[in-house]
Amino acid sequence: MSLETFGWLVLLCPLAGTLLIAFTSQVLPSKAHGYLGTVAIALSFASAIGALLALQDLGDEERQVVTVAWDYASTVGVDAQLSLLLDPLAVFMSLVVSGVSTLIHLYAVAYMASDRGYTRFFAYLNFFVFSMLLLVLAGNFFFLIVGWAFVGAASYLLISFWYRRTTATAAGIKAFVINVVGDVGLVLGTYFLFKHTGSLDFLRAFEGAGELGRNDGDLVAGCLLLLVGAFAKSAQVPLHTWLPDAMEGPTPVSALIHAATMVTAGVYLIARMHPFFEQAPIAADVGAIIGCLTLVVAATIALVVTDLKRVIAYSTMSQIGYMVMGVSSGAYVAGLFHLMTHAFFKALLFMAAGSVIAAMAGNQNLDRMGGFRKAMPFTFGCMAIGGLALAGVPPFAGFFSKDEILAYVAAREDWHVVLAVLGFAGSFLTAVYTWRMIFRAFFGPPVEPARELEHGHLHHAPEHTNPASGEVEDTDVGFPGPDHHIAERSWSMKVAMGLLAVGAVVGGFLQIPKVSHVLESFLEPSFAESRYFEELHPSDGLTYAGLAIGALLAVGGIALAYALWVKDADRRRVSTLRARLAGVHAFFARKWYFDELIDAVVVRPFAWFGRFARDVFERAVVNGVFVGGPSVAVRAGSAAVRAVQSGFLRYYAALLLLGVTALSLYFLLSAS
Amino acid sequence: MSVEWYLVLSALLFSIGAGGVLVRRNPLVILLCIELMLNAGNLALVAFARAHGNQDGQIFALIVMVVAACEVAVGLGLIVAIFRRRLPIDVDELRELQG
Repeated sequence: MSLETFGWLVLLCPLAGTLLIAFTSQVLPSKAHGYLGTVAIALSFASAIGALLALQDLGDEERQVVTVAWDYASTVGVDAQLSLLLDPLAVFMSLVVSGVSTLIHLYAVAYMASDRGYTRFFAYLNFFVFSMLLLVLAGNFFFLIVGWAFVGAASYLLISFWYRRTTATAAGIKAFVINVVGDVGLVLGTYFLFKHTGSLDFLRAFEGAGELGRNDGDLVAGCLLLLVGAFAKSAQVPLHTWLPDAMEGPTPVSALIHAATMVTAGVYLIARMHPFFEQAPIAADVGAIIGCLTLVVAATIALVVTDLKRVIAYSTMSQIGYMVMGVSSGAYVAGLFHLMTHAFFKALLFMAAGSVIAAMAGNQNLDRMGGFRKAMPFTFGCMAIGGLALAGVPPFAGFFSKDEILAYVAAREDWHVVLAVLGFAGSFLTAVYTWRMIFRAFFGPPVEPARELEHGHLHHAPEHTNPASGEVEDTDVGFPGPDHHIAERSWSMKVAMGLLAVGAVVGGFLQIPKVSHVLESFLEPSFAESRYFEELHPSDGLTYAGLAIGALLAVGGIALAYALWVKDADRRRVSTLRARLAGVHAFFARKWYFDELIDAVVVRPFAWFGRFARDVFERAVVNGVFVGGPSVAVRAGSAAVRAVQSGFLRYYAALLLLGVTALSLYFLLSAS
Repeated sequence: MSVEWYLVLSALLFSIGAGGVLVRRNPLVILLCIELMLNAGNLALVAFARAHGNQDGQIFALIVMVVAACEVAVGLGLIVAIFRRRLPIDVDELRELQG
């Protein structure tokens, strides 16, 4: 089969899966839908591998294939086609997305087994994968926007999957609203770029980009608007507040959407639009600075959060900050490399966290956890591998990818060095908060559920409650199911986590400085004309120094976490530290007051404006003047006319005679 | 005989009819008065036709007679209907159609 066929198959398999699951929901047993969804995504992954092989058969120059299914709209100047751009970047992204999605589907088959919304869950999940693949494979802005919006909608559906949970529906709405802000940014940015390049097609638009001046005003505006879209989707400051709340969704959703795939769409967008960003360095600088800011902000918040999944969510934000900083500074391969390794170890961490949460019967609070090490050896092993990879301990995946980003950013040599230094500080914090979470969940004296589990009994809560608000819930559809599933007792969860753990260990070997450069040579055709791809390379000294510092910081961070949370069993040092830095702790624990800031700057003014519009404009102007004015006039007029209609026949006759007489007299007089 | 005499007669007849319509309350009499007015008009038309020496006015008079017959048919029908429903035979009492 040809590359084009494989490309379409990658997209069609999840779509077919969605439709099949949806239309057979009443026919097949619900258990079958889980496997159906998994197989659909696995076929998509197989097609992506086929596309990879077919792509490698082509010559270096030919590895950008556009395949058009039909012209959607082809009028004066607008060329919206249903087209895919199959180049190394798109194939790489679809491999990561479909590969990780397959494993997460497999995990969810067991994890969601007792949920009453099982079938709906897999239909949504397949739809999400379809949207994400549409986003990464789209060959023009038009379908990029379609995929972008679909992904936001799928994210909304899955965050609010437990739709009777008020906290979950609120989180879904928040995510959707912020994502729509991003959609608007993307659409307006597309407009600015389209205005100058005259084409919606990526390749033709990129050609047009070269003709624009450097830092051309419209180009910068377009790129900044694209960044708004990327920031909203990738949870970058200040549009990040939806991501921690999105943890209200089921854990496989957090692993798939809010760690491995959807939130990396912004990174993909910046990498895909690199010809524009290289022509508009101001916009690229904004991206790099915001990425760096995000990674620091998120890392500090992750230090104090006590919700297991939210710790991982903030770490996701922080890692995406690295990627955004990388791709905005010209370190495309490094950024995408980190995207891939991050997808592995972050999905793994979420899966392990899901297993722990299941063992806690749905409770996510780190304060209640402890000592799960003996009860859940497999989960602990996976969590530890994920934690080592996230912290960046050699030779795990995160070590190579994160340090490559930092080395490339440092190699820019201007003020980017500051960003790199902050990035190293962030990587120290990463090690501390990751291992704080692991030590608190798995070390120390075993809590009640852990002791029960050691005796082979899975903890069941006396009554089901919402972990966020404590509201009592039932287990019917719209709430989590009655039973929880841990990795130790389910082969499918074990397979999924095991494979991801392998990825988290060996994923980094694709790109070892001075040893291997698989990704770099693979992605070369996509970035062939890029200025930075050829020129920006860290010196050997910088590379080795970066690796050494990164490894030291990671190990040091883990050691610090060990000293604070394991060695010091009473955690006295942590409490004195917290007491001494109460202000800072509160600042971090309130998430840098971003929610309050957005509330004060955006939500309240808009709510006030809404009330103003209702009270003054709607009631006084629209109701009073536009609607009220004519109706008063018509009423008065009709009252006057009505008064004439007395109903007396002779009165009418008299009027008629008088009128005719008057008219006749007038004509007679005027004629003479 | 000049045409003025006919016209004066026609005007008198018309005035009598109009006055009857205005002052009488019995619908039957009002119909008769309307008939009187129509025929005053006919008289004028025929007189003019003769003065001009052609037949246009006479044809017009015939058409007016047809209209008058229709009007009488409808008017009498209405009066019979009013009578059957035992409503007052008085145009001042029949005033539901007011604004």
